[in-house]
Amino acid sequence: MDHLPLPDRASFPLLATNPELVWLDNAATTQKPRVVLDAERRFYEESNANVHRGGHRLGHAATEAYEAARKTVARFINARPEEIVFTRGATEAINLVAYSWGGSQLKAGDEVLLSTLEHHANIVPWQLVAQRTGAVIKPIPLQEDGQIDMTAFCTLLGPRTRMVAVSQMSNALGVCPPLAQLIAAARSVNALVLVDGAQGVAHQSVDVSALGADFYVFSGHKVFGPTGIGVLWGRTEILDAMPPWQGGGEMIERVSFDGTTFAPAPRRFEAGTPAFAQTVGLAAALDWLAAQDRIAIAQHETALYQQLAEGIRYLDGVRIVGTAPEKGPIASLVFGRAHPYDVAQFLDERDIAVRVGSHCAGPLMQSLGLSQGTLRVSLALYNTQSDIDRLLAALQDTLELLQ
Amino acid sequence: MSTWPDLPESLSLPTLSTRLEAAHGWEAKNRLLVQLARELPPMPDELKTGEHRVAGCEAQVWLLTRWQGNHLQLWADSDSRIVKGLLALVCAAYAQRNKEEIATFDFGELLQTLGLQRFLSSSRASGLAAMVKVIRNA
Repeated sequence: MDHLPLPDRASFPLLATNPELVWLDNAATTQKPRVVLDAERRFYEESNANVHRGGHRLGHAATEAYEAARKTVARFINARPEEIVFTRGATEAINLVAYSWGGSQLKAGDEVLLSTLEHHANIVPWQLVAQRTGAVIKPIPLQEDGQIDMTAFCTLLGPRTRMVAVSQMSNALGVCPPLAQLIAAARSVNALVLVDGAQGVAHQSVDVSALGADFYVFSGHKVFGPTGIGVLWGRTEILDAMPPWQGGGEMIERVSFDGTTFAPAPRRFEAGTPAFAQTVGLAAALDWLAAQDRIAIAQHETALYQQLAEGIRYLDGVRIVGTAPEKGPIASLVFGRAHPYDVAQFLDERDIAVRVGSHCAGPLMQSLGLSQGTLRVSLALYNTQSDIDRLLAALQDTLELLQ
Repeated sequence: MSTWPDLPESLSLPTLSTRLEAAHGWEAKNRLLVQLARELPPMPDELKTGEHRVAGCEAQVWLLTRWQGNHLQLWADSDSRIVKGLLALVCAAYAQRNKEEIATFDFGELLQTLGLQRFLSSSRASGLAAMVKVIRNA
């Protein structure tokens, strides 16, 4: 089969107008293809009206666009539209589950298992609900290569385990936990599973029906869509049993001062005016990505990662943290004689954008003993061999200077 | 107690200002900051404690202050060389000043004058603000 051509920088206005920029901070946010910017602009220019309200032409058009976006998201992850809740992002989606499901289901002594790879967004909401309910957070340790220690995980699983929350792809290391095994093991003790897809969604096709998890969350802006919009997917029977978490318009069936009845999911969880223009942008991003040759993209990203890993072998004192074979296109680097912050300053001079620090993964950095954090290189489909060449050359010069 | 080092003449504020002004462009300034870090006397590990740590910086920063009569003495270190280079400037700017001078000295303006304004961007300024606060409360 012939591959479609890979999307190039010309499709991304920010990259097209900054030809010298080497954008290697894709795990923080991705640049947007023109089709996404056009879709949001067109919505504002042609269909702008509040959704689910107003007896007028534009109100209906906006509602149609909003609900069509829900269908697009559902199609993208192979779910049903009524299982898709729009949120501000992955963080809000996890907060929603922790607050609503956790707050109503967890009891003192119940256990929530979190991998040591997790982003703070998949830790702190659980800590908050644990404080309220008396539930206990149990961290799942890692192997030396950054992969989840499955033996330790199976030992931690027990009759009190109610929830296992784990990342599809670590934002800090790129390591991808073995979700199928984790989910099967969690099932055996009747625990639910939440998968944080914030990093994985831009790189791997997602089929929530096949995955077998109970919740899947992601953010629009990390998958070429707008900021301020994200997705919670949950199984209908679980969402239907969850109480509302924020009150307001749209999430109710009937309000009176004697009492209020709530709308069914997903609207029950979408209080107030949603970010409807951003849902249109998100739908455009997902339709655009789904139309690409995703196998070719994954091969391209893997080839770039290998080029980077190979180049780094020839640089003195540089090490990739997290060497597990199951990895996305993220390389977290530490240096024998240089601080990641200093290296990034010199890269920035050459318009090479990377991220340094603990990447909102404090427990992970503590478990790895990395008090200085790492320098993270995170790739996306528009990166090129030339980007990696320029990074490697800049790293070599910088490390000589910082000897 | 460790012996407090004197700042070398190469790190006095007039000399330092001349050196930084002579470095044109980011790369030259970054290189110079790395060089300044080599000239700033290191702090012994036993002083690099949580008590002396300044929170809010992108790298680890330790800052000690003490009064010699009316005048402030500083001792600072970082695990980042660029940050340590900036600390040389902090030390040069505030050393041997009295309480009144310290309260009114505008470190941000000094950075602007010396072409180091990019360290004032909001993602980086919190660390500097924290350091200035420690010095003003000394």
